[in-house]
Amino acid sequence: MSTQPAASTGLRLRLRPIPSVALVSQSIVEITSLTKKFKGVTAVDDLSFRVEPGQVCGLLGPNGAGKTTTLRMLVGLINPTAGSAKLFGQTVRPGAPELLRVGALVEQAAFAPNLSGMANLRLWWQAGGGRLADADLEGALAVAGLGDAVNRKVKGYSQGMKQRLGFARLLLARPDFLILDEPTNGLDPGEIKEIRELVRRISETGSSVLLSSHHLSEVEQTCSHVVVMDKGRLVTAGTVDSIISASGIVLIEVDDVDAATLVLSALPSVNGLTHEGNMLHITMTSGRRSDLVKQLVDAGVRVETVGASQSLEDAFLGLLDEGTSR
Amino acid sequence: MIAVLRTEFIKATWRLRTLLMVLGLVVLPVVIAVAIHSHSGNGERRGGGGGGGGLFTLSRSSGVLVPASVLAVFSGFLLVLVAGFIAGDSVAGDSSSGNLRYLLLRPVSRTRLLIAKMSVSLTLIWLSIVLVALTALIAGVALFGWNAIDVGRTSGTTLTSFHLSAGDLLVRVLITVAYVAFGFTALVGVGTFVSTLTDTPAGAVSAAVGIYIVSQVLDAITDLGSIRNALPTHYLDAWQTMFTQNTFSTDMRIGIIVQVAWMVVFGGAALWWFARKDIRS
Repeated sequence: MSTQPAASTGLRLRLRPIPSVALVSQSIVEITSLTKKFKGVTAVDDLSFRVEPGQVCGLLGPNGAGKTTTLRMLVGLINPTAGSAKLFGQTVRPGAPELLRVGALVEQAAFAPNLSGMANLRLWWQAGGGRLADADLEGALAVAGLGDAVNRKVKGYSQGMKQRLGFARLLLARPDFLILDEPTNGLDPGEIKEIRELVRRISETGSSVLLSSHHLSEVEQTCSHVVVMDKGRLVTAGTVDSIISASGIVLIEVDDVDAATLVLSALPSVNGLTHEGNMLHITMTSGRRSDLVKQLVDAGVRVETVGASQSLEDAFLGLLDEGTSR
Repeated sequence: MIAVLRTEFIKATWRLRTLLMVLGLVVLPVVIAVAIHSHSGNGERRGGGGGGGGLFTLSRSSGVLVPASVLAVFSGFLLVLVAGFIAGDSVAGDSSSGNLRYLLLRPVSRTRLLIAKMSVSLTLIWLSIVLVALTALIAGVALFGWNAIDVGRTSGTTLTSFHLSAGDLLVRVLITVAYVAFGFTALVGVGTFVSTLTDTPAGAVSAAVGIYIVSQVLDAITDLGSIRNALPTHYLDAWQTMFTQNTFSTDMRIGIIVQVAWMVVFGGAALWWFARKDIRS
């Protein structure tokens, strides 16, 4: 096994303060310099990011990162101290009409416990002045998959059932955009799997989603894009793949390790190199994986497989470490 | 507005504790009526007044007066508890359960929601008082009959009396019900305001009831003079002269103005604060 010095700065080069993931006419979410202070404590600090139509965007960060405060400002529950949060191009205010196009599950789903699931859905819908006939009751119930339990009192529901009823409620208005704040918190593994499947099914219908979580695997499995927050600030944002690959470790399986090591060691973009059997672990400071492959192939080395070694979890922890050391 | 009113009313009434409260309000007047019936001695508890004796004493002559006696007893504490509970829990209860944020996300206008909550609180208190009065009336008439009464009163050194038919009594009982119910308007204003300040229903209920108890205590300190006139509890018993003195006291009119004033100040403060508070529950 050969070793070269490990990269320490490669990741920082790829950080993008304000991502522009897709060029479309109007962002669904546009958060600009958003700041919230509670009695002198800064919960969200100069945060900016966007969510574009069709994206399933994860809002990732450890507990206390400011995710929930950000989402609450986005739906008009909390007033920003500075900056702005826009939905569909309009600055959000309490009770803003844009909220009619948004289905939000903010932390745990909550209901009147002595009423049935169905009565809760009806009451919630009618509180907004809508006719029940205009709600997508059938579709919402089908997605939530509660069956006959929807006619039972909510106080007998498990946490997972309540969350599914919460999904049914937010789908009643056929929303264009879903905001899901830690939707699997407090659920058992079976319920977590069900909720993730539910989010996947919803995203397949074309709705855009902003999903906050501190479960990295949840974001990795569910989201196309990710915004990483820590201590109220933006750490990075982009596609999940770009965040993972930006952490710089690439796996390449070759037929001739010695020849490949010789070729790659000479490249300025390679900052570290180890191997296990025929699998090379390459730390990159810049450049693309395809460039490495081209160099190897040009040198006559046969490339069997190429991939990133990391999960989002590794990338996330690396980002947080980097943020702390800065 | 009607939609959110309807929603809030169903939510407030369709709860086990509300149903238990209603049960208590049905049973207690019957217990009091039976107690008046059982004790032929000095049953006067409150609402004394002229020489004709108190409402309890008068109630033995006509069952139509029993609702007035029961309301005299209840309005001092039990109805304060009920009203404090209803108003104090209105926002904080929803807040602590998490329902509040989902209502606001529907979206429902905050002002509209709070007006609906205050309206529902007032309606529930009115319904509670009507229920108490109705139960007391049925129990009273069953035990003491549908009778007219002659009430003695002293005027200087002269002892006179006045006659009230059963119909007169019923009209005055209805006025009593309305006045006592209206007498909790200030409490709804204060309770709702406190309820917007906290996410803890028990704290909001305690604070609302506590403010009323403090008001009663201050009202008992005569040295405070005319300051007492502004207290929300000062004129709560002003209706009793209808039965003991045969007069409709001007204090009743002042009492209504005081209630409205408290509601304007605290209801307004609640609306102002609720429209801009951060919903963090």
